[in-house]
Amino acid sequence: MRKAYVLIIFLLGLTISLSVGKAVLQNTLSTSGIFVGQAEQEINSYKTQNAILSEEVLTASSLTNIMEKAKQSGFTSENVLMVINTSRPLAVKP
Amino acid sequence: MKWRYPLIFIFLVLLFVLIIARLFYWQVVKAEMLSGLAQDQYGGLIRIEPERGEVRTSDGFPIVANKVSYLLYLNPTQIKDKNQEVQVLASLLDMPKASVSAQILPDRLWVKIKSGISASDKGEIEKIKLPGVGFEEHYTRFYPEASIAAQLIGFVGKNQEGQDMGYVGLEGFYNRLLSGKVGYLMESTDALGKPIILSRKPTIGGSNGSNLLLSVDRSIQFLAEQKLKDGIEKYGAAGGMIGIIDPETGNILAMASSPSFAPQEYWKYDESLYSNPFITNTYEPGSVLKPLVMAGALDAGLITPQTECDICGGPVSVSGYDLHTWNDKYYKNTNMIEVIQHSDNTGMVFVALKLGADRMIDYLTKFGFGQATGIDLQGETTPSLKSRSAWYDVDLATTGFGQGISVTPIELLTAFSALANNGKMMQPKVVTAFENASGEITKVPSVVKGQPISEKTAKVMTEILVNAVEKGEAQWTKLPGYRIAGKTGTASIPVKGHYDPNSTIASFIGFGPVDKPKFVMLVILEKPTTSIYAADTAAPLFFDVARNLLNYYGIPPSE
Repeated sequence: MRKAYVLIIFLLGLTISLSVGKAVLQNTLSTSGIFVGQAEQEINSYKTQNAILSEEVLTASSLTNIMEKAKQSGFTSENVLMVINTSRPLAVKP
Repeated sequence: MKWRYPLIFIFLVLLFVLIIARLFYWQVVKAEMLSGLAQDQYGGLIRIEPERGEVRTSDGFPIVANKVSYLLYLNPTQIKDKNQEVQVLASLLDMPKASVSAQILPDRLWVKIKSGISASDKGEIEKIKLPGVGFEEHYTRFYPEASIAAQLIGFVGKNQEGQDMGYVGLEGFYNRLLSGKVGYLMESTDALGKPIILSRKPTIGGSNGSNLLLSVDRSIQFLAEQKLKDGIEKYGAAGGMIGIIDPETGNILAMASSPSFAPQEYWKYDESLYSNPFITNTYEPGSVLKPLVMAGALDAGLITPQTECDICGGPVSVSGYDLHTWNDKYYKNTNMIEVIQHSDNTGMVFVALKLGADRMIDYLTKFGFGQATGIDLQGETTPSLKSRSAWYDVDLATTGFGQGISVTPIELLTAFSALANNGKMMQPKVVTAFENASGEITKVPSVVKGQPISEKTAKVMTEILVNAVEKGEAQWTKLPGYRIAGKTGTASIPVKGHYDPNSTIASFIGFGPVDKPKFVMLVILEKPTTSIYAADTAAPLFFDVARNLLNYYGIPPSE
């Protein structure tokens, strides 16, 4: 008889404590949506920044850009031949 | 009094039936509608657009990637001074005022003004704080190497439903793989529209597109494009193309063609420029076909390199047609090595007649002519071989020197690669592996397409071609110290039933170094004007690219 009584008290206590726990947890998490939203916004912003930076890195490391920069710096792989069809004076009077 | 009990009982039963019917109506008949309404109220399905896969060259560099761009929209109800807003937006977006003004309809809450705005431009516009202006983020195709390999890659346009779709080249061929799958996220929100963390469920389906890992070497592609551009300018050609393949694997190392288009602004170019001429254009190959015909005759045991041509002392008459050499020079009793060296048409008529129509068709078929090469690019053309009954003696004779037969450059390059790979012909391919959204890599194996000739024949033919480079018309442009096998081809262009005497298609095909070939290359110049001959145009361009390739691979001279 005593055992059953203890068991009932225990189950009752467990039910009450779980209910209270659930209520506390739900109340705590109910406002966490705001933080989740903020976190998602932040992730998206980093993703965007990452994509923009990747674009810049790829543009900078492209052979097209490197060739352009090399030309500007004076590197050349070919001899630029110039053909002068008419004779030019050594000095031109102003 | 007793009648009251049954009455109340019937009334209660009817009441319950009514309630059950009503419950059935709401919970079964209208369940879907109510469920939808409820979902709309506490959240809903969020469509997650997949990111399109990248296209990477063999060094892992993405020649096609995705970049963030923005769509600028307006909420006309929030605009205070329409004229001022139109003026500012038109100047910022470089659009006509009338075009901006026409889109601002006062009864709308959302109107699209311009898409494809860069992040930096977006920042500039945001600084001005114009009322009613908003941005939507999108991912669009980005080409770090600009229009490099444009016809090989293809472009991304819109389909009939307004969704991204790949057209031509790799974008067209692998559109489904690159596109990925749309996913959905079921999310519940609170009264303020913020997500409820406890009700969040995993994403339903959906995955980003797979990345394509190409066999194309970025440096070689870049080199080919630059050299082709210079060559076209130098030789006054109408256009041209260069294809380079690894004969051992069938991997395409470069495929350049000009004129081309810029995939980021494809709509500004004529549609005819979208297709890749290396796989779609057909032409009469001319003398570059001679080595393949001769390889067939050697393989069949009908001739040897020392076989003498007993009809080569002058023009050859076949079915009433007189067939001449390209320069009207004739070499009596010339052998097969010299026939290729001099690109002797009469010598090739001799070979073709020895071969006969049946064996000619058989070898051309074994070399892959008349069938698709199976390259993984959208739009490959397959010119068919004439049926056996349509082969007359004169057709057989002219096919010997590459006239009266149509081929695509990719067919020719694939067939020729068999000579460089001990007679084994590989299926050409551009994609070597796929990388899915989880980073798993699936390799694409190389496929042997056939063995048209024996290893011995391939080696003999290679030596004949080395001799052609060393002593032939193009010997002035050869690379000292390197053993390169190759052949010039000056093909006439058929116009209204005859050949145009003033314009040609000049080509050079070859491979090197012959001991362990690293590349087989086909150079084609369309209608060169400085000279109509390949030995003066396509050949020097071939050797210019070859010299750079040998340098790139670090291969020292062997002699």
